[in-house]
Amino acid sequence: MREVLFIAFSLFTIGAASGVLLSRNPVYSAFSLILSFFGLSGLYLLWGSTFMAMIQILIYTGAIVVLFVFVVMLLNLQTNRENSSNIVFLGVVSASVWLFSLIILRVLTRSIPNKILEIPENQLRTISKLLFTRYLWPFEILSFFLLVMIIAIFAITRTQEIAHGGEK
Amino acid sequence: MNFPTSITYWSHFVTIAMFALGLLGFLLRRNAIVVLMCIELMLNAVNLFLIETSMRTNTPDGIILVVFVVTVAAAEVAVGLGIILNLYRLKGTVNLDHFKSLQG
Repeated sequence: MREVLFIAFSLFTIGAASGVLLSRNPVYSAFSLILSFFGLSGLYLLWGSTFMAMIQILIYTGAIVVLFVFVVMLLNLQTNRENSSNIVFLGVVSASVWLFSLIILRVLTRSIPNKILEIPENQLRTISKLLFTRYLWPFEILSFFLLVMIIAIFAITRTQEIAHGGEK
Repeated sequence: MNFPTSITYWSHFVTIAMFALGLLGFLLRRNAIVVLMCIELMLNAVNLFLIETSMRTNTPDGIILVVFVVTVAAAEVAVGLGIILNLYRLKGTVNLDHFKSLQG
């Protein structure tokens, strides 16, 4: 049963991820991205990480992809033809990238043991405890980083200076 | 509950396939928004690998790293889309071939 679910979710995820590349319209790319994230969330559930499956749907499809869709609809893009790249070149490049990184990954993860999985009773509590004890400083730096990002986005998307003094 | 070896073997294939797809889209597509989406695909491939390793070795540190990655990815997308909006206001297009000011 687990194998069947794993194969189904993997094929679904990879198919949707290739839809992001192959579709001409950016809106369709965003929708394929949503489907791919749902498949990934199923894979996380299969590994036993319920917390990350929830976070994946809430943050990625609820915030990030919605942001993408907003910007795509704001820009009112006309779908002009991109210069179509060579199919053979694309296939060779993708196959070589895939094989090379697969070999690297197999070599790097050779020493990771394949233990018996014990899903923790309260995964959220474990993560929260670690966030406020061992990873306290990265957590605080991350919050400061978010503050910097908010100010940066306000500074970037201000409209007045761009409209009048923007570089042509 | 023990993991079947087939799943632990093939999950690396899924990770690498997603990362390769994201890398290909990043290199080949010329629409700036789709390029940002492909960066998201690469980040998600890394997230999948981290969660799989973390659950397999029964240590929660990988999940915490994934939480950090998700936060930074959200901020990165917001800033990137802001930059793309400004570029569209300046040039009237989001095709990356038209942004050649830095090439002299």
